[in-house]
Amino acid sequence: MFLQQLINGLTVGSVYALIAIGYTMVYGILEFINFAHGEIYMLGAYLGIIAIGLLTAMGLGNSSAFLLLAFAFIFAMVFCAFYGVTIERLAYRPLRRAPRLAPLLSALGVSIFLQNFVMVTQGTRNKVFPQLFAQNGFDLGNAKITYIQIMILVTSILLMVGLTLFVNKTKMGKAMRATSQDQKMAYLVGIDVNRVISVTFLIGSALGAAAGVMVALYYGLVNFHIGYTAGLKAFTAAVLGGIGNIPGAMLGGIILGLVESLGAGYLSSEYKDAYAFIILVLLLIFRPQGILGERLKERS
Amino acid sequence: MKKSLIILCAFLIGGLISNCQQKKENLTKIGVCAPLTGDQAKMGNDILNGVKLAVEEWNTKGGILGQRIEIATGDDRHDPKEAISVAHKMVNEGVIGVIGHFNSSCSIPASFVYHDASIPQISPASTNPQLTSQGFKNVFRTCGRDDQQGSIGAEFVINELRKKRIAVLHDKTTYGQGLADEFKKNIGKSNRASIVAYEGIVQGSGDYKAVLTKLKSRRPEVVYFGGVYPEGGLLVKQMRELGMKAIFVSGDGVIDPEFLRIAGDAALGTFLSFGPSVKEIPHARHFIESYEEKYGEIGPYSVYAYDAANILLSSIQSAGSTDGEKISEAIHNIRHEGALGTIQFNANGDVLVAPYIFWVVKKIKTEDGKEKLNFVPYT
Amino acid sequence: MIKNKILEKSIWALWLGLLALPFMGKKAGILAIAILLVILLLPLLNGLIARFGISVSRLNFLSSSANWLKTNKKMALLILFSFAAILPLFMNRYFVDVAVLCGIYIVLALGLNVIVGLTGLLALGYIAFYAVGAYCYALLWTHYHINFWLALPIGTALAGVFGVLLGSPVLRLRGDYLAIVTLGFGEITRIVLNNWDELTRGPNGILGIARPSIGDFIIKQPIHYYYLILAFVVLTIFITTRLEHSRIGRAWVAIREDEVAAAACGVNVTLMKLLAFATGAAFAGLGGVFFAGKMIFVSPESFTFMESVMVLCMVVLGGMGSIPGVILGAIALIILPEALRQFQFYRLLMFGGAMALMMIIRPQGLIPSQRRKMELEEENG
Repeated sequence: MFLQQLINGLTVGSVYALIAIGYTMVYGILEFINFAHGEIYMLGAYLGIIAIGLLTAMGLGNSSAFLLLAFAFIFAMVFCAFYGVTIERLAYRPLRRAPRLAPLLSALGVSIFLQNFVMVTQGTRNKVFPQLFAQNGFDLGNAKITYIQIMILVTSILLMVGLTLFVNKTKMGKAMRATSQDQKMAYLVGIDVNRVISVTFLIGSALGAAAGVMVALYYGLVNFHIGYTAGLKAFTAAVLGGIGNIPGAMLGGIILGLVESLGAGYLSSEYKDAYAFIILVLLLIFRPQGILGERLKERS
Repeated sequence: MKKSLIILCAFLIGGLISNCQQKKENLTKIGVCAPLTGDQAKMGNDILNGVKLAVEEWNTKGGILGQRIEIATGDDRHDPKEAISVAHKMVNEGVIGVIGHFNSSCSIPASFVYHDASIPQISPASTNPQLTSQGFKNVFRTCGRDDQQGSIGAEFVINELRKKRIAVLHDKTTYGQGLADEFKKNIGKSNRASIVAYEGIVQGSGDYKAVLTKLKSRRPEVVYFGGVYPEGGLLVKQMRELGMKAIFVSGDGVIDPEFLRIAGDAALGTFLSFGPSVKEIPHARHFIESYEEKYGEIGPYSVYAYDAANILLSSIQSAGSTDGEKISEAIHNIRHEGALGTIQFNANGDVLVAPYIFWVVKKIKTEDGKEKLNFVPYT
Repeated sequence: MIKNKILEKSIWALWLGLLALPFMGKKAGILAIAILLVILLLPLLNGLIARFGISVSRLNFLSSSANWLKTNKKMALLILFSFAAILPLFMNRYFVDVAVLCGIYIVLALGLNVIVGLTGLLALGYIAFYAVGAYCYALLWTHYHINFWLALPIGTALAGVFGVLLGSPVLRLRGDYLAIVTLGFGEITRIVLNNWDELTRGPNGILGIARPSIGDFIIKQPIHYYYLILAFVVLTIFITTRLEHSRIGRAWVAIREDEVAAAACGVNVTLMKLLAFATGAAFAGLGGVFFAGKMIFVSPESFTFMESVMVLCMVVLGGMGSIPGVILGAIALIILPEALRQFQFYRLLMFGGAMALMMIIRPQGLIPSQRRKMELEEENG
């Protein structure tokens, strides 16, 4: 049973981790909580379904499942990246010098807007993700792991490794790190800060979209309000790992997934949502910077 | 900068004025109150469509008491305080009766307002026993009560399935927990079966493998679930993914085509309690055909809303007046042949017989020779 | 030049249309054209207004009325109060009910304003205190038959105590961390209310709470509740105004501006922060008891995170730290969704859009606090 719970927790945790990266990257650079990020994840899940519907309508529905899925991933990630950049440009950039609660509220407004945009255009019904793969898997001792779970784990790890390489090895990644350390200084040494911010939103949103498609595939069910809870959890994960810290967000997501699974399995599943917050509150009281985070300087 | 303020103010004033419209003559208004937006919007719109269908049918037959029927919608977003606002709005607009609300937590506070104004209220979906135990003469429901369905489920599991180890899950809502509690209570009365696990899950969280893994270690033969179809579908699917072979049994909240789509083949052999088969109810076939033609797939509460609207309208007809007390009295006396079968109300406003039978999910051959999952009455 | 602008706007419209394409299909084209028309026509409309002599910048009526309030304070207050007092006589019960909701949220928003606006502590789980007040009265009545008027001080005090209890361990956290911990507390409170079946009856909620009564007169109609909440609102405004201009209020503002400097000047920072939490929470408790008395039914659904967010929005939208601003914010955010009711499905879509737009156009709030305004101008200048 413990092994099974571990597998369950890792799967959910890696999804949380992918969403959490988006929160943490934006916080690292702009120091504000992008509440609309959960909706990007929701848009990603919808776009995945729409993409597959599109292929089916074009008569390509019978091609290989991997091909369909790859298209769904790319379609959702590209569109969500566009969404992320556009939201930043329209709703956050004008507010960069405003009082610090203003972008938070603007983000909430965007979040309500996107949720209802999807409701109005796609209807209030749940969307069902077509079953591309059989549900079977193989046994691991007395635990079971499905192929979809393996795919989720592998994809998440690949994306996270890719991101780490990007941030650490490329010039853009260096510019991002510089901007998150000191925006003014980065600007002075000739970094195009606006571009860095756009790229941040681009990458964060694309990862969120990937998480959305994977969840849609895993559960087979999507509706327009999944972004809210997932966003809140992923945000918790980001703080857990130390907000602003990318490896921290990955670690935080996985820990959160494990805590929820083990808590629901061994304690009570009614309080499943509370475990995340209890851990969060305890952690912040005793180690406010998060697991991997550095102590933040006071902000005005 | 100030421009926005002006626009905002104009917006507010405009909205208020248009909300102020007095009721027009030659119209009979009935209200539909449900969560039309927000996370339960789907259920709300299922109800609205059910009522719309009934009203359209009445209007083509020439309306009621010589007047056209119009629907006033009230969106309560499943928020109790909005439910009260909406109820006052309904009273204001002069509706003659209300179909609603969806959630018991909205129906109950709103019922005080309707009671004050003596407007009949028929809820198509609020199953909390408290709603009709307040002594209000104007409050009815077309759905069953949690306690009625739970005992039928327990009897079925013990006598028909003859299973001994039973796990109970619920979604921590008024409906789901009420149903699960009644089921558990009735199992407890018998010495032929025992409860091996009783757990609540979080609605909308999607991942139930953790709790199911826990259930698996208790080796249940039957898993009974109190809740609605999205969770039901996910539960049965994830159960099979974990290699659990227990029989899945649930109530009317799970009977929805979407359940089959979510769960896929995992749904095979699932037992669900619901109203009797369509073929035995002449009115139901007509309902299903015209609903599907107009609004697409039927939701679990559409039929309850459709019958509720028909009951309200025929009672207005037979009362021959728009006076709330007379209509309430007529509803108490009605014997309605609807899509749900024969409906009569007891003194509390509950349906007299909750006609539940069990349905099973099977593969049936469709006309073009393909196999398709469907609900079949269990005999 | 102008051509370039039109081109830029067209590209924007096209881009937004493209984004909407997967969701809307062919209708996305119509959307793009609509967006283009709106952003092209907006400056024209602006010019039209200017030509008719209604210089938009001169229509500064909110700020000017705020200024007028400052100079003729007593008179203005009297007028406003008497307006509020006779208002329900001209409204139907639905509007009165909405007005009562406005009242509750004014009390809540003014309470949160003490924590967020004055002291500068960002609290996101504020609705938990409201829940404490509401459940306090619900449980006191159903178990001990303690009436509304007795429950009022008990609920208020209990919420205040909760404020201190939650506040004390987290006060050394700053900024966003405090926000997150309070968010966590808020969610935990709701989850506990939903799961502690023995005490709170879980999702079923508590039914059968008595309505408040004075002697034999039972407060029942919306209009009765209106006058009751009006009294509470006046009380809240009175207390918060007095607090703001007291020694305590100045200490709060000092903490908001610079905690270290405030401590150096002899302000007991911890005590003052706790006091702010207690005061804010107490007002929420007051609102909660009233809410329970009005609904005569409480269930966990009324105390979601979204409610906390709404109250915070009222404070920020109205103008943090400014009492008239916060009141206006509360009224606007309650009335706006009601006014949009006729649009049904589009109601929240428009609400969300309006909220983002408002923040972009006027980030400092509708009526910014005078003190803050000066600071902002200094910074920019």
